[in-house]
Amino acid sequence: MTATSSAALPEAIEPAAAPRRWGVPLWVGFLLVVLAFLVIYPLMMLLFGALSDSNPVVDGFGKFNPSLEHFVKVLVNENVHYAFFNALAACGGGTVLAVLIGLAFSWIVVRTNTPFKRFIAGASMIPLFVPPLVAGVAWSILGSPKTGLLNTVFKWIGIDFRIDFYSMAGLIIVFGIYYAPYVYMFTASALQNMDPSLEEASEVSGASAFTTIFTVTFPLIAPAILAGSLLSFVVMLGIYGVPAALGAPANISVLTTYIFKLTAWAPPLYNTAAAVAILLMMVTAILVWAQQRVLSGKSYATVAGKAFRPRALDLGPWRWFTFGLAVVYLFIVVILPSLALIIAAFRKFLFIKDFDALFDMKAYGFSHFNAVFDNPLTMLSIWNTLKVGVFTALIGGALAFAIGYTVYRTQVTGRRSIDLLSTIPVAIPGLVVGVAYLWAWIGLPGGLYGTIWILALAFVARFIPDTVKALSTSFMQIHRELEEAAWICGRGLVGTIATIMLPLARPGLVASMTLLFVLSVRELGSSLFLYTSDTTVMAVLLLDYYEGGNVGKTAAFSLVQTLILAVLLGVTNWLSRGAAQSSARVG
Amino acid sequence: MKRRTMLAGLAGAAAGWTLPAAAQDEFGSKDLIAAAEKEGSLTYYTANFAEVEQEVIKAFNKRFPKIKVSMVRAPGGQLITRIKTEAAAGKLAADVVNHSDRGLMLALADLFQDYTPPNASDYRPDALVSPKFWPGVTLGWAIAYNTQLVKSVPKTWMDLTKPDYKDKQIGQVVGPSGGTTWTRVMFEKQVLGDDYWKKQAALGIALYPSGAPLSDALVRGEVSIAPLLYNIIYTKIVEGAPAEAIFAPEGVPIIPYADGITKTSKSPNASKLFMNWRLSKEGQAFAIKSLGNITSMKEPPAFPKGWDPKVIKVWVPKFDEFEKLREPWLDEWNKTYGYRQ
Repeated sequence: MTATSSAALPEAIEPAAAPRRWGVPLWVGFLLVVLAFLVIYPLMMLLFGALSDSNPVVDGFGKFNPSLEHFVKVLVNENVHYAFFNALAACGGGTVLAVLIGLAFSWIVVRTNTPFKRFIAGASMIPLFVPPLVAGVAWSILGSPKTGLLNTVFKWIGIDFRIDFYSMAGLIIVFGIYYAPYVYMFTASALQNMDPSLEEASEVSGASAFTTIFTVTFPLIAPAILAGSLLSFVVMLGIYGVPAALGAPANISVLTTYIFKLTAWAPPLYNTAAAVAILLMMVTAILVWAQQRVLSGKSYATVAGKAFRPRALDLGPWRWFTFGLAVVYLFIVVILPSLALIIAAFRKFLFIKDFDALFDMKAYGFSHFNAVFDNPLTMLSIWNTLKVGVFTALIGGALAFAIGYTVYRTQVTGRRSIDLLSTIPVAIPGLVVGVAYLWAWIGLPGGLYGTIWILALAFVARFIPDTVKALSTSFMQIHRELEEAAWICGRGLVGTIATIMLPLARPGLVASMTLLFVLSVRELGSSLFLYTSDTTVMAVLLLDYYEGGNVGKTAAFSLVQTLILAVLLGVTNWLSRGAAQSSARVG
Repeated sequence: MKRRTMLAGLAGAAAGWTLPAAAQDEFGSKDLIAAAEKEGSLTYYTANFAEVEQEVIKAFNKRFPKIKVSMVRAPGGQLITRIKTEAAAGKLAADVVNHSDRGLMLALADLFQDYTPPNASDYRPDALVSPKFWPGVTLGWAIAYNTQLVKSVPKTWMDLTKPDYKDKQIGQVVGPSGGTTWTRVMFEKQVLGDDYWKKQAALGIALYPSGAPLSDALVRGEVSIAPLLYNIIYTKIVEGAPAEAIFAPEGVPIIPYADGITKTSKSPNASKLFMNWRLSKEGQAFAIKSLGNITSMKEPPAFPKGWDPKVIKVWVPKFDEFEKLREPWLDEWNKTYGYRQ
């Protein structure tokens, strides 16, 4: 028997009918209206674009000439087929790798007595802060077959082996290591919230630790693994920076680089790009449907009313082996690319003839940082980015909590529609969604266009799925009996949410708001259409530097961005840990 | 030396910054200048590199410090989409638009007002597509190479078909990447011969999506030689990168931009003054000497380094062919170079 069958926990989730409230239909209606505005309205604009030749704002809906021409063009184009299969291969391979790494990591951090776990946990999230473009650039500096730093080192040591990241394998590796934190985030919080008595039961029954991991632990957190891998796959499908930097030199195109070509240059083919985007959405829809099929009818509730602490497995001397694994991973994911970026940021030019040239100190200096901070837009963009990030995290976090609660903790009519609507944006590639928001919201009364708020709105809409899914595992794991206990004690719905759900889901909520903050700092696709000279953000400036051929300044600015994010996240983490500890004391 | 100081120095050398009364007419009448300063600001949309345009704004502000220029920068196609949509919603914020694709701008001509700079007759007629648009920026193609890697330096465009440079020593920006590259591709077929692409492609060419990553790849030594827009590699050369660039005797394909003032401009006088200054001899000389631009003026006020006006001639694409030949020729280019668009 696997622990995932509903027999294992007979009373688990089965959402009992929520206390009847007269406000329920109003509440569902409210959420549906909000989602319609944030998701459906821009999506209709996109569909309108894909099915016609017109720009809905410029030409008006009156000139709508429905035609399937764009779809047909896209479907019969063999270059689209090629890009499509490349994208599937790169993202599929990348997801497998991300799951392997993310799962192993979360297990090491949460369930073992590996030393320096906190440090490992913190450092393992660093790839998430790195904009894909920067990751791509860093790995092209490291892994280029001709001038890659790693190859320079191999040559110096006398090893004949040469690596080539300008390849499908390179794409898969970079995708895998950079999107492992998605899987990690989901699985780590699931592992943390899991009652160890299930594992103990397995071991008491004679199963080895190894067997327990694969027959109890991992199957129990299957929703988290699936959600994490699905999200990382879909996010990879929408990434432009990595395939642009690593795929392009090898003439490997994927769907995003194809879409970028359609939108960036003359004449911009947004209508065709919209058609490609809708195809991408169909792929994602199928995957989401498959995920729900796999998970339906099973229960994963593991957080019950009984107090427990996540069990740390004593690995004995093997804990140094897991520590070693973590160090190797961190070295590859954090140290190497950071070194590449630091070298690029401080070195005047990246021409490195041989290994010794790396240590020629005359070639280093602060010129790129000086140039970056000479630029008056730098400080403005940092300030704007922080403002947008905070607004997005607060609004998006609140909305995601409301949606998550309604979808995962109640049985109200309409919750499936809410779930569906809040999942759709994940499938729309960023490069196309920007124009959909522009088309949809430019006409809004009240002067929203041109302000910071329209950017925050776009980010909230774009990242609803990521935030809700990040929260969902927390919601799914909190046993119904805890809420029921509150109701029995006479608490109302709001009181129950405030005293039970909010504190219990707080780690998940903080994590998802943090994720939202990070994503909004990095977001380029929708920023590009909605920023103005006063509301420019860091991602836009970073693209300027990259497009200007300034790897040095790109690297310098991305180091600045990474540093700001790291400091902020450190503070958030410290604050939330403080809050969690004080609430634990109260509890 | 800091780049800013360096550029300022170059600009200072390009033109004295004192403003004699006669020179004022070069930029506009006293009334225009007074009205522009009263407006005090303008919004500038550009598809050019942000850093470059900031230097332009700084130089303009040295001459006219009372006019604040706010800039919005986006890649070419995205900028056009934004302008169209903003205009349709009645929210076009741009006063002046600077764009490399004359064809796309021509389609938007209705959004722009009539404008003629004081020195209109100084400009080549073949660089103009509409009386509303003027080439505030003109870029030109050079052959750049890495000085540490290239032993025998190419001197002509035809040299780039020699077997000496085989096996991805040469990098190229892909033909369909945009109007600037299409100009080069058109030049190659029309001037260098029908089989130029075929000969070159046979060498094995490293393809790049746009000029910026290619210029970076050249400096890093990923490729040894690359046709590049001179302004992309120029600032790197000035800063001391191991690179150099030459202009080939067969011709320098140039791309005159289309810049205009919007009809809805809230600062029409400041916009005119900004355009006048950029199109003036002083503005063009600044762009040539400090930014590595070329010019569409009949008598250039300055020449880039290594440009012998007796030998080097610019090549301007015929505008009707530029539009008409684009699709079929780029299809052929893609096939020849094995590029999957």
